[in-house]
Amino acid sequence: MKQFQLKTLLATVTIISILFSCKKDKNVLVDQPVATAGVYVLNQGNFGANNSSLSFFDYTAKTTTSDRFNAVNGTKLGDTGNDAKIYGSKMYIVVNVSSTVEVVNAKTTKSIQQVKMFNGTVGRQPRYVVFNKNKAFISSYDGTVAIMDTTTLAIEKYITVGRNPEQMVVSNGKLYVANSGGLSFGNPDKTVSVIDLNTLIETKKITVIANPVSMAADSYGNVYVLSAGDYSSILPGMTIIDNATDAVKTTSTTLSGAYGTSIVVSGDFAYFLTSDNKVVVYNVKTQTVAKTNFITDGTAIKTPYSIAFDSTTGEVFVADAKDYASNGQLFAFDKNGVLEKAKGYPVTVGINPGTIVFVNK
Amino acid sequence: MKQICLPGLYNSIPAKKWLVILTCFIATNTFAQSDTTKKLKQVMVTGNLAPKVETLTPTQQLSRTDFTRYNAFNVADAIRNFSGVNIKDYGGIGGLKTISVRSLGANHTAVLFDGVQLNDAQNGQIDLSKFNLSNVQEIALFIGQPENLLQPARSFASASVLSIKTVKPVLTQSKLYQVQAGIKSGSFGLANTYLQWQQRINKQWAIIANANYVYANGRYKYKVDGDGSDTLAVRRNGEVKSIQTDAALYWTKSDSNKFNIHLNYYGANRGLPGAVIFYNPYSSQRLENNDFFVQATYERTWNSSLQLLLNSKLSQVKTRYLDPIFFNQQGFLDQHYIQKEEYQSVALAYQLTSNWKISYSTDASLIKMDADIYNYAYPSRFTLLNVLATNYRKGKWQLQGNLLYTYLKETVERGSTDQPRSVLSPTLMATFKPLPDSNFEVRGFYKSIFRPATLDELYFYAIVPRAIKPEFVKQYNMGFTWTKNLNNLLDYITLTTDAYYNDVTNKILAVPNQNPAIFSFSNIGKVAVKGIDIGLKTQTPLHNNWRGLLSANFTYQQATDKSDPTSSSYNNQIPYTPKNTLALNAGVNYRRVGVCYNQILSTGRYYTGNNTPDYFVPGYAISDVSAAYKFVTGKLPVSASVEVNNLFNENYAIIRSFPMPGRSYRLSFQITI
Repeated sequence: MKQFQLKTLLATVTIISILFSCKKDKNVLVDQPVATAGVYVLNQGNFGANNSSLSFFDYTAKTTTSDRFNAVNGTKLGDTGNDAKIYGSKMYIVVNVSSTVEVVNAKTTKSIQQVKMFNGTVGRQPRYVVFNKNKAFISSYDGTVAIMDTTTLAIEKYITVGRNPEQMVVSNGKLYVANSGGLSFGNPDKTVSVIDLNTLIETKKITVIANPVSMAADSYGNVYVLSAGDYSSILPGMTIIDNATDAVKTTSTTLSGAYGTSIVVSGDFAYFLTSDNKVVVYNVKTQTVAKTNFITDGTAIKTPYSIAFDSTTGEVFVADAKDYASNGQLFAFDKNGVLEKAKGYPVTVGINPGTIVFVNK
Repeated sequence: MKQICLPGLYNSIPAKKWLVILTCFIATNTFAQSDTTKKLKQVMVTGNLAPKVETLTPTQQLSRTDFTRYNAFNVADAIRNFSGVNIKDYGGIGGLKTISVRSLGANHTAVLFDGVQLNDAQNGQIDLSKFNLSNVQEIALFIGQPENLLQPARSFASASVLSIKTVKPVLTQSKLYQVQAGIKSGSFGLANTYLQWQQRINKQWAIIANANYVYANGRYKYKVDGDGSDTLAVRRNGEVKSIQTDAALYWTKSDSNKFNIHLNYYGANRGLPGAVIFYNPYSSQRLENNDFFVQATYERTWNSSLQLLLNSKLSQVKTRYLDPIFFNQQGFLDQHYIQKEEYQSVALAYQLTSNWKISYSTDASLIKMDADIYNYAYPSRFTLLNVLATNYRKGKWQLQGNLLYTYLKETVERGSTDQPRSVLSPTLMATFKPLPDSNFEVRGFYKSIFRPATLDELYFYAIVPRAIKPEFVKQYNMGFTWTKNLNNLLDYITLTTDAYYNDVTNKILAVPNQNPAIFSFSNIGKVAVKGIDIGLKTQTPLHNNWRGLLSANFTYQQATDKSDPTSSSYNNQIPYTPKNTLALNAGVNYRRVGVCYNQILSTGRYYTGNNTPDYFVPGYAISDVSAAYKFVTGKLPVSASVEVNNLFNENYAIIRSFPMPGRSYRLSFQITI
């Protein structure tokens, strides 16, 4: 309750300061810590139904816009929005089957440009985006990572990596790319490509547990890779790579995440979803499991589908895909793992909510 | 969805979900001619008698002479006006068309070809677009089951039965052969030719052979709604080439001692235009079909009233799905599926007393499935059906009942399978005629039935074994039929009205998962369907060579999801189920010319389980017109027709992302020698 009031107060102050944005108030804004205006949830929708949508939950008004991309721009995202991230003032929405990257103003959702990811008439099927020094790196199922300039939005280069690359992470001046090979049943890829961010050339491939999908890095020199295995003989698990030597430090099948969801690291802790619907907290400093389930109040999430951590508040967000066919929900838990009902959670979002993005005021 | 779901979806959907369209067809006789014939046969009455209405279970039928009136090119088009029927049409000349009767889905309707089921154990649904009408004599839909007791056990084993009957040779000593040739052309780059040859060998033997070839480029314009485009797009990669042949040999000693054997082949090669994906209009997937079956029927009635019906069938269904650009290690997907079935049915019926008949049928089927996909189980399914049925008439009552015993056993070469399963399914039906002098009858039936999980649901990319129970339906129906022969402004009126309730449990739902190891099907669904079907048919007497015909069918369906009270889709209408559908067909005949107008109105639907505006698919009103003319040139009967479909060029879709064509045309010409 206390936290809620503080948050409300903060939000109110900020809103007032925006509404009456007199110059003399500017200091108020600057003095405040970064405040979150709301949260976007990118819903993948149903396959082949062009119903990917961008839900927006406004913290202050406590209202949800079911598809803010459509409401603002009059067009729809298309088929299977797979990733969204904010870099600078822009948000980059990666739409898998439509093979586009929609670049929008992060605050207003107003479209800036739709970048088509095609090789002739073949959609490259982009999957994820990460950023480094004014460049966006976009992995695509056609086995490439595209480099896009974040000012001109022009694609400058395609780097060939392994099969069906998924998530990427920037660590120690290098880009690590999870080559899943997930479209070859029974024969997944099992490598992580390392790209030198100065030369933009793939320098090596690191062998990890088969079918790597999710990635994150901490400040202790570790790169975490969650793999799905081959669904029969090879179990899913986690590979930890040393970002100085690019050697594999650990492989563990006791640590494994839910398929295709993200692992997020903030400070000394990593958070990820497990296939048995729990939120594991992993201490990256001690390399031990800190909590087997972050959720303490017994809130049941039917199908955890994505996770995010708000480092400004210590809240953990989990989106629930339910039956994969109807609307999902967004849950937010305070730092004690208690569902924040007073803030209006759970919030109804769209079908298959796969990505959660916080937007600052 | 993420990653690995894609291969599954890519090939499960296209490989089975979009198939051809074929021919269109036009009745051999336009209605002007046929009505003349009818009139001659019924010289003793001044007006025309109402067509016979099946009273025991709701039944709707169309015969050869009706097809033009409904602008029908294939079986799916012909039955779209039926009440209680929802045709799932993926659009275009090569688009899959399946039937859902009373919201139960295609898997609950058995499709019979001359009395023998066209079975598809792999995905449980029959694409009705692949049956052209050039050799079809009659199509009937029985909700529940047909009234006849002497039939294969499979006819008792579905929630509804769609029966397709082919043309039989009608030759005499003075007319030893008949050749019928036709051609159709029109929109979608359609070129369709067909030939039917009937030959009398002697008094007892006759042959009939049919061939039907279709080519179409499949292109049509459509409007994409939602991607910001303001021009029309062209549907591409929808071209179709198909050939359907059927040759049958008939032996008829007498009406009570006859035999026939069919050889049937269907081959098709088509592009799959796929779902319209915003900003990515390219598709290059292909589907090839090679289906072959041979079926034989022997029917005998002895003087003792004992009847015997034997049916045998061997079939092979081959499907090839090719995706030339797929981001796996090979860079493409090329998958082959072969389904083989051996089927034998024996049915016996006996009239115990003049008003009491009993029957027993038993069907055995062995299906083997082969597919070159990852980790396939290579399943075989053995099904044994036994039915005891009885029909009893007494005074104002007719009572019929049967008990079906199903035994299912599967074996697999890899992985595991479920235990053998035995199910008992009862059906009870009754009619009551309260007024002796009126053709007014009240009817009711109860039928408990199930459909087993399909082999795809059980074994398609089943990394983890799936235990799926059959999907059960309890059908309850109450209704009445009323027929009045008149002798004034109208010849007759027939009116049928039925209210029904379907209770679906263990509904098999696909549950896509992030993780393909869990990607599965499960029995989590419950659906309650309440509905009303109304059918009306009438025509005017022939007056100065003019005649008017009218039929109207109305359907109301409330099909609500009762699966999970905590789900946001609980109590919502299930996907793709319009609440109200109205189908009107009006025609005018003048001498040898017939003009018909067909109208289908459907209210909006939702394409997901959530009935919110985000997921709304708007309703539609589609009008078709046709004109047919029959004449004789050099003693040879010729018929010609013009059809315009979607007259007002309405932009609509039945399945989201699968746009239906706008206005389209078809010209047909047929000659009989």
